[in-house]
Amino acid sequence: MIASSPPKTFILKIKRSLGEGKPSHWESFEVPIRPSMNIISALQYVAANPVTTDGKNVEPVVWDAGCLEEVCGACTMVINGHVRQSCSCLVAENLQDGNTITLEPMSKFPVVRDLWVDRQRMFDNLKKIHGWVPIDGTHDLGAGPTETQEEQEQRYAYSRCMTCGCCLEACPQFTKDNDFKGAQVFAQIEYFNSHATGKELAAERLDVIMEPGGITDCGNSQNCVKVCPKELPLLDAIASLGRKTTVHAVKRFFSGKK
Amino acid sequence: MSATPTAAPPQLSLIERHHFLLRRLHSLSGIVPVGLFVIFHLFTNAQMIWPDAGATFQHEVDFIHSMPALLFIEISLWVGIGFHAALGLVYTFTGQGNVKNYSYSANLRYTLQRITGILALIFIFFHIATLRWRWDFFGWFTPFYGQLKIDGSYGKGVPMSMPLTAYALQYSWIVVLFYVIGVASVVYHWANGLWTAAISWGLTITPKAQQRWGAVCLLLFIALTAFWGAAIYGALAYSYQEMTTDQKIVFMEVIPDGREVLIDHGVEVPSEAEAERRQMEYAASHGGS
Ligand code: HEM
Ligand code: SF4
Ligand code: SF4
Ligand code: FES
Repeated sequence: MIASSPPKTFILKIKRSLGEGKPSHWESFEVPIRPSMNIISALQYVAANPVTTDGKNVEPVVWDAGCLEEVCGACTMVINGHVRQSCSCLVAENLQDGNTITLEPMSKFPVVRDLWVDRQRMFDNLKKIHGWVPIDGTHDLGAGPTETQEEQEQRYAYSRCMTCGCCLEACPQFTKDNDFKGAQVFAQIEYFNSHATGKELAAERLDVIMEPGGITDCGNSQNCVKVCPKELPLLDAIASLGRKTTVHAVKRFFSGKK
Repeated sequence: MSATPTAAPPQLSLIERHHFLLRRLHSLSGIVPVGLFVIFHLFTNAQMIWPDAGATFQHEVDFIHSMPALLFIEISLWVGIGFHAALGLVYTFTGQGNVKNYSYSANLRYTLQRITGILALIFIFFHIATLRWRWDFFGWFTPFYGQLKIDGSYGKGVPMSMPLTAYALQYSWIVVLFYVIGVASVVYHWANGLWTAAISWGLTITPKAQQRWGAVCLLLFIALTAFWGAAIYGALAYSYQEMTTDQKIVFMEVIPDGREVLIDHGVEVPSEAEAERRQMEYAASHGGS
């Protein structure tokens, strides 16, 4: 038996386009493998050597990145058909058919160019759900309520969200042209509604997710929790909001408000 | 008249304003009345397993037909399933299943929930159209009557539940396959629906609770599968030999080529004269009809 030595180069197959709605096509690049190489460093190589496997000189591939340590979410893309951060994706562990890795932009957000997408919808949704703690006022509001260690720990889990969009990309109910808000925002509602001061806007937040595109449009496929790189307890958030909106709806009915 | 333009708040349509309610009603309409009915229905049918020539089964069927407010129950079933199926189809076709790339078990269940919904709809349509409305699809004619008059006309008299159900199932192996796929779909859809409904309504709010409730739903799935398995076994195991003379007469009246069917199965059939004599006797004692 001959031990197969690790390949010296690999093929990066990239789905490219000039923007949303423009035609897309695939281009392949041969990239030398370096130890502990990740997708971003492979893309950097392609940027410096934008020559396809059939020898064509092309414009460098566009992508987005920030922190390079899986905390900003900017580099999220679909790698081998699966959404994840490209900065924390190691080449050696993800070669398919021996030597290929495919990269596509996320399919649920408008493409800016090549692998770079516009995640604005998530930030707009954070505004819609009042994703903040209301402490602005014309006078001194005094010290805030104290939070127990336990409450802080529970909320810490939700605070880890980096608005990357993985949960939305993998969600069968979230599409480019519908208004479903998705797990990212549900988690943040749970986050702010469990904060002693943030609670003040709890009813408004629940109202927002009882409209079309709200919590009831979740189909319980539970993909979101599987793909979330920050391991947010998204199932807890979704089910808990199911309960809170049920109660809120009954209260709304009998109080005559809304 | 005011001429100041005011920024109109986004206008939600009537349906949009009741979005939350509609989705909760969709969930509810899957559980009751339709789901609850399915449980009772399958339990009743499981009685076909008893080797008593269908007596227990007949007793159950007669009981259902004697229930008060039957029309009310039936209407609520029609409304419930119509509403649930219509919205269910909308939800099915507005989602973007992606089980190919994300083959997690919960996602598989999500996809199956939609596939079995559609299969259930197709199955329920044919099930009702043949057994209840007595439609004839290219010779696939499997009428069901709880009881019939001895001349084959509609009315109380001869208990026909068992022989006619057996006839429906023994008609062809394709029918059996159709029933197995159809009923399995309904049962899966209901059991998995109970599981997701507990999340939607916020009853099971932690993964641990969801897991526990999932075990309960699985048990329910197994029990219901056993029920319909028993029913199909009972219908296939039934032998036309077990029919009474009156049942044979009715059978020959309502089933096309009924006499040949029975003879093919080696059943001793009453002669036409004998059948006619019994029918006349019946008509005389019941003031004719
Ligand atoms: C045999 C009749 C049926 C029964 C007993 C039934 C029962 C149920 C139940 C209990 C649920 C769970 C609701 C929830 O998750 O909150 C459900 C969900 C669902 N049903 Fe049905 N159903 C039936 C027929 C259908 C049909 C004909 C369709 C049409 C394709 C359908 C499509 C759906 C869909 C898409 C869901 C998921 C809804 C969601 O996740 O929000 N069902 N069904
Ligand atoms: S559980 Fe709901 S929000 Fe999460 S991926 Fe599935 S449908 Fe989307
Ligand atoms: S919840 Fe998780 S997957 Fe979704 S945006 Fe936040 S970090 Fe990303
Ligand atoms: S670059 Fe920030 S998560 Fe990858």
